Amino acid sequence: MSTIEDISSRGPRLSKAATEPALVRWALTALAVAFLAVFLIVPLAAVFIEAFDKGVSVYIAAITDPMALAAIRLTLLTAVIAVPVNTVFGVLAAWAITKFDFRGKSVLLALIDLPFSVSPVISGLIFILLFGASGFFGPFLAAHDIKIIFAVPGIVIATLFVTFPFVARELIPLMDAQGSDDEQAALALGAGGFQTFIRVTLPNIKWGLLYGVILCNARAMGEFGAVSVVSGHIRGLTNTVPLHVEILYNEYNFAAAFAVASLLTFLALVTLVAKAIVERKARAAMRAAASRRTSGGPHEH
Amino acid sequence: MSIEVRNITKRFGDFAALRDINLQFSTGELVALLGPSGCGKTTLLRIIAGLEFPETGDVLFDGKSAAERTVRQRRVGFVFQHYALFRHMSVFENVAFGLRVRPRKFRPSNAEIRDKVNTLLKLIQMEHLARHYPAQLSGGQRQRVALARALAVEPSVLLLDEPFGALDAKVRLELRRWLRRLHDELHVTSVFVTHDQEEALEVADRVVLMNAGRVEQVGTPEEVYDNPATPFVYTFLGHVNIFRGRVHRGHAQVGAVEIDAPEYTDADNAPAVGYVRPHDVEVFREAGDPLAIPARVVRVQMLGPLVRLELATLSGGDPLEAQLTRKGFQELNARPGETVYVKMANMRVFI
Repeated sequence: MSTIEDISSRGPRLSKAATEPALVRWALTALAVAFLAVFLIVPLAAVFIEAFDKGVSVYIAAITDPMALAAIRLTLLTAVIAVPVNTVFGVLAAWAITKFDFRGKSVLLALIDLPFSVSPVISGLIFILLFGASGFFGPFLAAHDIKIIFAVPGIVIATLFVTFPFVARELIPLMDAQGSDDEQAALALGAGGFQTFIRVTLPNIKWGLLYGVILCNARAMGEFGAVSVVSGHIRGLTNTVPLHVEILYNEYNFAAAFAVASLLTFLALVTLVAKAIVERKARAAMRAAASRRTSGGPHEH
Repeated sequence: MSIEVRNITKRFGDFAALRDINLQFSTGELVALLGPSGCGKTTLLRIIAGLEFPETGDVLFDGKSAAERTVRQRRVGFVFQHYALFRHMSVFENVAFGLRVRPRKFRPSNAEIRDKVNTLLKLIQMEHLARHYPAQLSGGQRQRVALARALAVEPSVLLLDEPFGALDAKVRLELRRWLRRLHDELHVTSVFVTHDQEEALEVADRVVLMNAGRVEQVGTPEEVYDNPATPFVYTFLGHVNIFRGRVHRGHAQVGAVEIDAPEYTDADNAPAVGYVRPHDVEVFREAGDPLAIPARVVRVQMLGPLVRLELATLSGGDPLEAQLTRKGFQELNARPGETVYVKMANMRVFI
């Protein structure tokens, strides 16, 4: 028979000295909740309230407006290009960095982090300086009638740059923890490099990879700064969803601005849920890799 | 298949992992690479497998150089210390992996694969766990699966890196006996790495003792235990009593002991160390033997069938350990504090 004391003594219990009085605990919790409400929940709710402020018909009109649809199409196109490209790059970079030793490894690591450390506006400016009319490649591009800046390619390139690190950054610690025993086992069993990657490496990293892809996608669709610099804001041609929201807002078309913004907000919420689910799986994979490593003592070479 | 290792050296940065290693492994042999951690034994195993490449030297399989062959082409079965099982595959699929990745021309049919895998699962006594995943298995079971997976491709050589290193003592004992039986059935040339001397002496046909990137001694378990070639082998294999002293013209004076050292007739008062195994220390009640020296019993320890005596020689107080059978101890009937006489039945002196 178990008594109440039995139950309470089962779990780890904090000692009296380590706990605060009830009043303090309540006050701190309330403060945290209030902060969350003011800075996160209220703005989130405001987006949807403002979006539907003038009624559902205005909302639908705003997001089915040809200019809005063009912006949505461009944003999707950008993501469809940037996410797969950076996924492939991220996997390759993480593979190279974690499974091989080579000169300049730390330089590559630093380069991968570069887009994170540079302000997005500066990132955009870099491409103006490279591909703009008076930029480095400007005369060449003008001579061959290739438009990059103030055109779709510029937007894609800027997005590619900004979303560069997400997948690689997510995979490097995971693949590092997993080591290369599995791959070596596969090779010793006669598998080729590609077979090893598809059958062994990819299943091992799939949750971490998916997590990176989700973050990469969210950024690709939501990027404002870098894209704003290179886009030129040509309605129906070089406007992405975030830029379209800005234009509508600047025209005091609040209902429409918030309606389109609500699409991005909705994307953010979906991302958040997907991220939470995938993150749990990815953490579990990481823990499994870590425990496998530590269970048998250090690796001797 | 026989393996020959010829003039292998390997460095990691400034660290010399292997220095000019030469070894022969005959067909069907089970050999242990034994040494303390960092001695280079794992590196040597990985070089034989083709997972690591030497700076100089060559590995020969059946007399043919394997230098140009990758791990994939060498057809070695490699078993990792941490199993390296594919965690997203069932036990069955893990074992089947090596067959499934073969080029289509050489790939067995699904039915053949099934038969082969089932036979192997029977061999490792895990047919009932075919559908389980590695995470659901115990350490010993995982290592057996890893072994079956390596055997599935019918390797010409089986290489095992600390195969029982991550297991607890009891499972380790069972599994190494099982490995020995398995080897007697399959007769595939096998090399395993271990830092556990007991494991090496019990399982292997021959033991290669390594230290600091060099081979110290190669021999059968009896040879290396009874006739250690170097001081390192003496101290690494089993317990040993150490006496410091000097050798002069073929005569050694180490601790309180004086013995002949005919191999050092040229030695001129050179510092030397004498080694005696505890079970080679004979203990007497009475001072009859002229070579026996008096010692005080410090401690008596019962170790199952054996009795360990901690002694201190009366002359220098050098600590000394003797191992007796229970019967021998009963006849001796010595208590702590009493004086006995000890004689070194088998002492080796190294300069």
